[in-house]
Amino acid sequence: MANRSGPQRPNGTAQAKICQFKLVLLGESAVGKSSLVLRFVKGQFHEFQESTIGAAFLTQTVCVDDTTVKFEIWDTAGQERYHSLAPMYYRGAQAAIVVYDVTNQDTFGRAKTWVKELQRQASPNIVIALAGNKADLANKRSVELEEAQAYAEENQLLFMETSAKTAKNVNEVFLAIAKKLPKNDQNVNPSVPVNITAWLTICVLRAGHF
Amino acid sequence: MNEEDLVQRAADERAAIVAKYRHGRREGAEIYDWEEQTFEVYHSLDRYGFIHDTNKHPSEERITEHQTPNELKIDREREKKWLKMTTPPSAFYTTAPDKLRRRVFKGIPDSLRGKAWKLILEIDKEKTAGKYQEMRDLAMKWSSEIRQIDLDVNRTYRDHIMFRERYNSKQQELFNVLSAYSMYNSEIGYCQGMSQIAALLLMYLDEEDAFWALSILIAKSKYNMHGFYIPGFPKLLRYQEHHDKIMHKFLPKLKKHLDKNGVDTGIYTLKWFFQCFLDRIPFRLTLRVWDVYLFIGERILTAMAYNLLKIHRRKLISLGMDDILQFLQVRLERKFEVDDDVAMESLGKCLEELRKSKLDYPGPPPQQELPKRKFGTFKEPPFEQKVGRRSMEFSRMEQSTRESVASRRDAAMAAALTAESPTEEEPSAPNGHARHSHDESSALPGASTTTRVNSPTEEAFSGRDDTFSYYLNTTGSKFSLEQGSMDGDGSSLLGDGSRRSLAETSITSTADLSVFSSAPRSQAADSHSICEEDTDQEDGGGTHTPTPTPRSPDVLRIYVPYESPSPPAMPLTPTSTTNGDILRRPPTSLDNKIRILVMDHTPPGNAPEDNTPLVELASSPFSPIVDLK
Ligand SMILES: Nc1nc2c(ncn2[C@@H]2O[C@H](COP(=O)(O)OP(=O)(O)OP(=O)(O)O)[C@@H](O)[C@H]2O)c(=O)[nH]1
Ligand SMILES: [Mg+2]
Repeated sequence: MANRSGPQRPNGTAQAKICQFKLVLLGESAVGKSSLVLRFVKGQFHEFQESTIGAAFLTQTVCVDDTTVKFEIWDTAGQERYHSLAPMYYRGAQAAIVVYDVTNQDTFGRAKTWVKELQRQASPNIVIALAGNKADLANKRSVELEEAQAYAEENQLLFMETSAKTAKNVNEVFLAIAKKLPKNDQNVNPSVPVNITAWLTICVLRAGHF
Repeated sequence: MNEEDLVQRAADERAAIVAKYRHGRREGAEIYDWEEQTFEVYHSLDRYGFIHDTNKHPSEERITEHQTPNELKIDREREKKWLKMTTPPSAFYTTAPDKLRRRVFKGIPDSLRGKAWKLILEIDKEKTAGKYQEMRDLAMKWSSEIRQIDLDVNRTYRDHIMFRERYNSKQQELFNVLSAYSMYNSEIGYCQGMSQIAALLLMYLDEEDAFWALSILIAKSKYNMHGFYIPGFPKLLRYQEHHDKIMHKFLPKLKKHLDKNGVDTGIYTLKWFFQCFLDRIPFRLTLRVWDVYLFIGERILTAMAYNLLKIHRRKLISLGMDDILQFLQVRLERKFEVDDDVAMESLGKCLEELRKSKLDYPGPPPQQELPKRKFGTFKEPPFEQKVGRRSMEFSRMEQSTRESVASRRDAAMAAALTAESPTEEEPSAPNGHARHSHDESSALPGASTTTRVNSPTEEAFSGRDDTFSYYLNTTGSKFSLEQGSMDGDGSSLLGDGSRRSLAETSITSTADLSVFSSAPRSQAADSHSICEEDTDQEDGGGTHTPTPTPRSPDVLRIYVPYESPSPPAMPLTPTSTTNGDILRRPPTSLDNKIRILVMDHTPPGNAPEDNTPLVELASSPFSPIVDLK
């Protein structure tokens, strides 16, 4: 990992064409979030990937056309108990992968609630990908490809079925996100111009409303 | 599926899992090949039973836990002493406390660790005959945590000889202990993180003792882990806040460095506190820390967190975000750099140092961190729980935690953003700046929001301190909104003002609108008077020469707190029951004021003391104050 001592936030201006994005993985416990990250970052798969407590942080860099995209990846804990800490990891994230297990219908339902939460609470232009993991266990499938695909289309999500075990579509899903992420200065440095008076008005209105 | 089918499905699933553990590895066991360790991959076994796969991760794996001949000799001598001290067991309790403490700090010999832990924890005092078996049997019929426990047993210390084989006796024990505990303490049930602790206990204690040890760690006032694991993790937030205090006082420079890199306390301390440093430092050192943790209690969490960062402060300060996290998450577990004895001695000193400044103990747990239901009483779980359905709503505690971590994160990001200039150095003791201290919240937005919001006290739950923050970052003359700190999409803020939508975007009682220019980060931090102390210590007498940078002038922070809807508080959503049975209530604010604080940051020295006009409006112009109390 490169030793950077400079600014840590995205600052697309300094080095030409290096973009840095924060990406978060969400989804039910044991769907394979950590396994996907491990596959993407180290090319490995551990059958006994330890359950994640809180969250883990990793980075990986990919090249898209002439741009180097660096992902700062937050792999979160899946147990519902940890849900209340999730904002710590998805706030400010420019991308998210919501993972479910194709062999478990419940995890798909859970993925949908994550998508909803992201749409409401994360950055407005966050790029969300839906990943149906453990695609290698197709004989035990309980979530149909078409069902997930339709849902993804409806919600404008990137979608792929993946397998951390066989590596199927793992790099692809990260690449697709990298492609979709806006890479101009404006977006690399995520700031939305805003009119201060408007903001005050909003706050005041809201204050009044309550 | 109708309700009955769902309950049946969950029951079947549970029964199937239970049957597998009951069956164990006897003939006919149904074990998928992916659940089994492949045998040829491991190479050596260390003295604690961990299997090291030297092929796959040469040199990088857990450091080999071998003893040198000298260490072996010392160990033998200690064994003699400990044997004497623990036979008969009653001898242990008559040993002079000082001597005992000294010996525990030096490390309990591994061969007697189980015996010693049992005595330290006073397990026999806690044990109620038959209770464990009763809970275990109930769990197999009723526990709604069986699924998650099973998933985690399959992933707990599989690189340890005891837990390597699927459904072997130790896996069975681990499954039993966790299941039984999920029944015994229904407020916690099972929380991820407990499996490693139970596994550690099972390495040294038998099944029933491990259950009671877990129960002591969670419920006894010396450890009080209950507050860590209940929904909303109130104790975690309290400990993190306390950790921040320690950092501000004793390691201010490192703290600033971490802040600047967006490495928030919430990120790196969670596993430290939840599991007392398991898997974050080498196993051998972990055991030493656990020895003293069991002996001294929760103060060790605070002290060890400080100790660890203090030992590695110079290294950490030279690293950027990625490497800091890599170092704390991965690297330290493989190689701690400092000898175990040195680290433990330093831990003792840290404890003393903190004690002197009254920072060794974050204080007794507030009510909400304590168990409310009696342990070991059976109550049939409600339907939702039976079928493992997730509640659609957060409990009040969880809601508060969500808001707290969100605003904390926003503050951290804003702080990191403003501290972006890489050449920036903190100016030395600017005299004119301590003046904001009359208003706590005028310090660094991050720090102030954090301190206030993160306190999960009753106050926070009454909603008074739930702060929702926006940070507006000015660049040149244009105002811009830092994207990451924007909660909810624009439309729910602008358009839909209904309570429901506000609730869904987790907007709470106070809007804190801050506008600041690109340099206030360091100034604000400097207003923390304690930051000036002890910098030498941190520096290690290094070559650090602060160079003041010109400050940019305008800092405008506008707080717009608003008050609550009128009582009685009403549920916000149709499905308002939570996994507890608390109704989710709208936030309530008892504080109504608009405060406009204009800080003129003329370079220090030129600034007259009372240059800061302060406009404070104590009552809300928008609506009458409603006192909910
Ligand atoms: N067959 C198969 N198994 C997988 C795949 N991905 C993960 N697994 C297994 O599923 C289990 C859980 O994987 P994790 O990566 O730990 O899951 P997680 O989502 O990170 O779980 P939490 O940390 O508890 O939230 C492990 O035993 C993995 O080996 C996959 O693509 N195929
Ligand atoms: Mg994980």
